[in-house]
Amino acid sequence: MTESGGDVPDVTQDLRVPWDEDPGDLYEHAPCGYLTTLPDGTIVRVNETFLAWTGYDRADLVGRRRFRDLLSPGDKIWYETHYAPLLSMQGDVHEVAFDVVCADGRRLSTLVNSVLGRDPGGSPRAVRTTIFDATERRGYEKELLAARHAAESSEQRVRALQQVVADLAAAPTATEVAEAVVRAPGLAFGAGHSSVWLVDPDRAQLNAVASTDPGGPAPDDIPTSATRPVAEVARRGDLHVFATRAEAEVEFPELAAAMRRTGCRTAVLLPLTTGFAGETIGAEVLGVLSFGFAEQRGLTDSELRVVRLLGHQAGQALDRARLYDDARRREERAIFLAGTTRALEEIPRLMPRAHRLVERIVPDVAEWAAVRLQVGPAGLLAEAGGPGPDPERLAERVATVVAGGAPQLTDDGPDPDCAVLPLTAGGKVLGTLALRMAPGRRTAAAEAQFLHDLADRAGLALENARLYEQERAIARTLQRSLLAGDLPTDPRFAVETHYQAAAHDLEVGGDWYDAFLITPDKLAVVVGDVVGRGIDAATTMGQLRSAIRALASAEAGPARLLERLDRFVDRVESARMATLAYCEIDLKSSEMTYACAGHLPPLLAEPGDSPRYLLDGRSGALGSRAGRTARVEHRAQLPAGSRLLLYTDGLIERRNRRIDKGFEVLARTYAGRRDAPLPGLTAGLAESLVGKEHADDVCLLCLALGTEERMERSIGADPVQIALLRKDLRGWLTSHQVDGESTQAVLLACSEAVANAIEHGYRDDPFGIVDVTATVTADTVEVKVTDRGNWKASEQDVARGRGLQLIRQVMDQVTFDRAEGTTVTMRRTRRRAR
Amino acid sequence: MTEEWVTFARLGRTELVRLAGEIDLANAPEIGREIQRRTGHSGAGVLIDLTAVSFLDSAGVRLLDSLVGDLDRSGTPIRLVVGETGAARMTLQLCAFRDDLMSTDLDRAANEVS
Repeated sequence: MTESGGDVPDVTQDLRVPWDEDPGDLYEHAPCGYLTTLPDGTIVRVNETFLAWTGYDRADLVGRRRFRDLLSPGDKIWYETHYAPLLSMQGDVHEVAFDVVCADGRRLSTLVNSVLGRDPGGSPRAVRTTIFDATERRGYEKELLAARHAAESSEQRVRALQQVVADLAAAPTATEVAEAVVRAPGLAFGAGHSSVWLVDPDRAQLNAVASTDPGGPAPDDIPTSATRPVAEVARRGDLHVFATRAEAEVEFPELAAAMRRTGCRTAVLLPLTTGFAGETIGAEVLGVLSFGFAEQRGLTDSELRVVRLLGHQAGQALDRARLYDDARRREERAIFLAGTTRALEEIPRLMPRAHRLVERIVPDVAEWAAVRLQVGPAGLLAEAGGPGPDPERLAERVATVVAGGAPQLTDDGPDPDCAVLPLTAGGKVLGTLALRMAPGRRTAAAEAQFLHDLADRAGLALENARLYEQERAIARTLQRSLLAGDLPTDPRFAVETHYQAAAHDLEVGGDWYDAFLITPDKLAVVVGDVVGRGIDAATTMGQLRSAIRALASAEAGPARLLERLDRFVDRVESARMATLAYCEIDLKSSEMTYACAGHLPPLLAEPGDSPRYLLDGRSGALGSRAGRTARVEHRAQLPAGSRLLLYTDGLIERRNRRIDKGFEVLARTYAGRRDAPLPGLTAGLAESLVGKEHADDVCLLCLALGTEERMERSIGADPVQIALLRKDLRGWLTSHQVDGESTQAVLLACSEAVANAIEHGYRDDPFGIVDVTATVTADTVEVKVTDRGNWKASEQDVARGRGLQLIRQVMDQVTFDRAEGTTVTMRRTRRRAR
Repeated sequence: MTEEWVTFARLGRTELVRLAGEIDLANAPEIGREIQRRTGHSGAGVLIDLTAVSFLDSAGVRLLDSLVGDLDRSGTPIRLVVGETGAARMTLQLCAFRDDLMSTDLDRAANEVS
């Protein structure tokens, strides 16, 4: 060191440690262990540091143990296979990691350096070994290894989670979200068994919707207020991890039992919530995921973070699916409402409309539906689907809703899922719509907005139909009252009429007939048709009918009458273009004068001749601007026994038949019935020409000149009707020149027989019908009185006995036929007219 | 309601009930009630004038029968005034009403019951 001289001082020379460095002490207490061994490894010298580290006594080691005896079993092999050969070949070995087994069995991680010393002859003499404590360094290595493991499993979890998130994003419905979520615990954590419950807010319950069980989820609906673990966790909104069954036992014995049953040792209950990770306030729980592990295991913090993240991801997916569901449902509902409105408008009448409504509601919306309307004394009901709810309770609820006008979407009675909504229009409750939503669908309460919309639209549609019915009924009543005016009765003629309204729910038409005496010897008959339908047409018809009665006079005649009507139509515009056939008959001379204003020609059947159409006396419709308005009339002689038919176009016009064909058919049919009794003739003609399925109103009037050979009447079981019958019968008997005494007798006998039928035959049936037929020959008058009532032979009381006695006294021959009901046949010999 | 068929008057002290038109099952019970309400309470005689009746059936007979029965029991004299011919005469004869009940002359009948 001196040769380094110069101006640089020799520091090793100058620097002196403050204490004497004792080489022996340095050896013993060096910061590493020293071992000196023989070539076979027998320890011959060891320092204090090594002894302190390992806890051995010097005496235990020196001359007694080999170095390899102190190593762990694995390291012993390493020593023999690597360390010793290397040392022997190279003469030194560096940084070999050995675990030294300490005196107390502890293992000490070390790094070992050894040098082989040789004697001058080159033979191995001793091995010098330094041993460094490598505890910390090995710990660090282990940490590195653990970190790598953690990173790997975390990556696996993240991959699993990414897959689940991708699946969630693709799941459009809550059920599909649940299917994706239920697979996540297995993929991410290797969990054995998992299930998903979803909250059904409408029914306040959690429904098991997905499970990894091969059989799918067991049906398990848990009320959200239940004490069961799933419901409790949903309420708390917190992740629950039960690392052992014992832990679960403390809080949820039921869960512990389930864990034992399914062989789980660790269980996790995870709420699926809206909002972001870490947000708990305001976050809504939409479901619960439960999963378990067959082995007992804790979850690391990072695993717990992933589990929580899964809960949020699933919650958001559910929220999205729910919004999507809502939007889709709203769209469906809007389409349904618009379609319903259209469908109802297609049918104008009330009951068919109500039926169509319930048929649309079932099964699209509900499994049962009923519309009740406060129309008429008993109300109206249209019902579809089933089963219906308890009728008594329903009636109570319907009454409440009608009285209060407030809907009841649910009930605490026997049918809580049955809703009753008011049907209102213009602030008035028209009736109710009751329905039960289909099972598995949203409850009525959840669909409240939709149901209110539906009830509003239905209420309006039904109110419109009711108004339509009302107007229709008014028009019909008006029309009937106008038509039912008293037709004249006279022995010199008979009038038979028939009015048949169009099928297919059409509004009333403006067809009419009339017959009246202008003077005691001049009869007028008319059939006409006003343009249009409905209440306006009925009113106009009434005006025109009255105008004709007022304007007809003994002097005027048909042509003048039509001219006056043309002027009338100038003031009553709705009557313009009305058509009519008008005939005046002089009952003394049997001469008829007739005129047709744009109307179909009258059909005349004379005795012994084919019927013929009267084609003269024609001019245009009333007030017509294009038609011929010069009014003309024509005369014709009507022999006794003639029958004149007036009719409206509904009788012969048919879509699939040309009108000339219609005329032919009518003439032929009319001819075929020339000998048929007048009563029922017009109805019979209408039936055979147009049947029941007729598209237009049909109006007929048949005038028979001369007398009926047979009188046939059907009267209701009402004593008041007997006087009317007597009036007809008296006229008929007089027209046949039956003598006065016989007339009195027949009237009395007929009255008594009819009174018997009413008082006995129809004692329980106020709507019974009594048929009376009278025939006359040169010698006898015969009257048959028939009822279809139920006579009880017993009650031949004194009063009625007197009636029968009177009949027997005044008639020559009386027979009773009691087959179905009773027919009394009474015959009296006429006296020759004087 | 019943004015069409029955009117009430006095002939001296005698009560006069005039029937008109057709008496049958439809109106007889009501007419009977009206007559019972209005007559037979004064103790004076009662005349039922049937000359304007154009039809009479067994219900009308029943009405007259019970009226006669009631008045006979109370000792009130009664006469039915009936035309020599006509519907009422025929029916009453057929039912064999007592001749002493029937009269054809109103004044004579009035004398008999007063």
